[in-house]
Amino acid sequence: MKTIIVTGATSGIGFAVCKSLLQAQYRVIGIGHTFDHCEKAKTLLRTEIPDQEVEFFYGDLMQQREVHRIADQLSEHIEKTSDSCLFGLIHNVGCVRSWYSTTEDGYEQQFALNHLAGFLLTHRLLKYLKNESGRILLTSSQSHQWMKIHWSDIMFQKGYHPLLAYKQSKLCNLLFAYALNTRYPSREIQAFCIDPGLFRTDIGNKKTGKLVSFVWNLRKAGGVLPEIPAETYRFLCDQKKNPDGLYYKNCRKMPFSRQVNRQNAEQLFALSEQFCNIQFGV
Amino acid sequence: MKVFITGATGGLGRAFSIECAKRGFDLFLTDLNQYKLNTLKKGLQSQFPLVEIEVCASDLTNEEDVKRLLKFADTKQMKFDMLLNVAGVDFEGAFLDWDSSHILKIVQLNIEATLRITHEILNRRKDQEKFYLVFVASLASLYPMPLKATYAASKRFLYDFSIALGEELKTKQVSVLSLCPGGLPTTEEAIRGIQVQGFWGEMTTNRLESVAAMTISKVLQGKKIYIPGATNKIFSVLGKFIPNTLIAKLLYNRWSRAQSHWLSIKPQF
Repeated sequence: MKTIIVTGATSGIGFAVCKSLLQAQYRVIGIGHTFDHCEKAKTLLRTEIPDQEVEFFYGDLMQQREVHRIADQLSEHIEKTSDSCLFGLIHNVGCVRSWYSTTEDGYEQQFALNHLAGFLLTHRLLKYLKNESGRILLTSSQSHQWMKIHWSDIMFQKGYHPLLAYKQSKLCNLLFAYALNTRYPSREIQAFCIDPGLFRTDIGNKKTGKLVSFVWNLRKAGGVLPEIPAETYRFLCDQKKNPDGLYYKNCRKMPFSRQVNRQNAEQLFALSEQFCNIQFGV
Repeated sequence: MKVFITGATGGLGRAFSIECAKRGFDLFLTDLNQYKLNTLKKGLQSQFPLVEIEVCASDLTNEEDVKRLLKFADTKQMKFDMLLNVAGVDFEGAFLDWDSSHILKIVQLNIEATLRITHEILNRRKDQEKFYLVFVASLASLYPMPLKATYAASKRFLYDFSIALGEELKTKQVSVLSLCPGGLPTTEEAIRGIQVQGFWGEMTTNRLESVAAMTISKVLQGKKIYIPGATNKIFSVLGKFIPNTLIAKLLYNRWSRAQSHWLSIKPQF
């Protein structure tokens, strides 16, 4: 049985993905923000899909010390239950912020959670992924289009705009996936990004101000249920051979921004290594 | 330029630390928790490799602990160009809802500890050079505030004190600034606090990154008071023309409504 980790697994897309993967007989490890959310999600999943293995870990992935702590727990768990093999790592967790705010490390929160958390967790779990030609899936978004990385002020400290910070973090997801695919042969790992499209989720209502929340409410009213985008995640995990695209929507390859190129990918990769105090190596 | 920042691991403290590091200032940071300080130091160091950063944890309300902190600075022969007094505390709610030790803690940290540190660090300023001193007061310092009575009064102390001290130290090349921000979206609790106040909550909320940047710019220019945001400036002017007793009455109505609303909603994540 193949093991897949899903972050941001207690609600929205992450929860729907867990459900879909469990139905397809994967062993699922979910990661959520709090103990309560994880317990609730675990109980729901176990009632809906009995006889499948699902485990949850919780923590605040925005803080790097928490990523390390969870990675320690996950490593132990994977070695014990999955023979040190990890087939999938789905970085789905993300946030929207109305205002500039920082993590304990002094990093802007959207950048820290939407990008750096996945970067660091991938690094920590890389050897398990390599053991099973693992796949890394990132929840990106079409909003990465018409955006450039703000190299001179990547944390938007000079002037914050919630939408720009969000768009940039989603562009970062694509650049990270791109960099992984150029650095590692696909028999070791392969990374993909997914545009979930517009669906009903509360990401824009959590810890945001009235305005952002209001705009988000209007937006999400026209969206589909999270079960629809969840199909794409399952599709990418189910393929026997690694699919050859980088960016998918509705189980189909999609074109992506020209900003997603080798130079930007490598520059972001090096910068992220510096911010996480790590070296990926080969 | 060497900057001493208290309360450095909180939301505003971090924003100041980042702003100063960005300007290439060396930092000496303190807060209660050594572990959090180390985390912040590591993060800052990765973003700004050229900046020198020292950290040392200390409970500023404890005189012995402050002595230890200062000894740490002295053994490294630190001299400073700037002090940002960020450390402060508030316990939200009515005077009688808290036991007296909590109420006194507000005074001990916001006033007593701030004066102790200010005195000690002023004595450790570089010879013959300009020194910049910032007190984080609050929009709350401009009015008597029911349900935040002790906090607002403690910030009023800092506000008046900083203006008077600035005059005393004018000839000694020390520039003193009092920062009076409205709500700052620093913690989950602060953001909830802004949400429950509704429209006026958002109107009086200041952007953290610009408050940090402008504060440093203003104190370097020798400004004495900085009230960020147009709405807050208007409120501060209005406050001068309305009797204090009436302000207290209006604010009490507003805050008690907001607070009952606050208590009725559950934290959302």
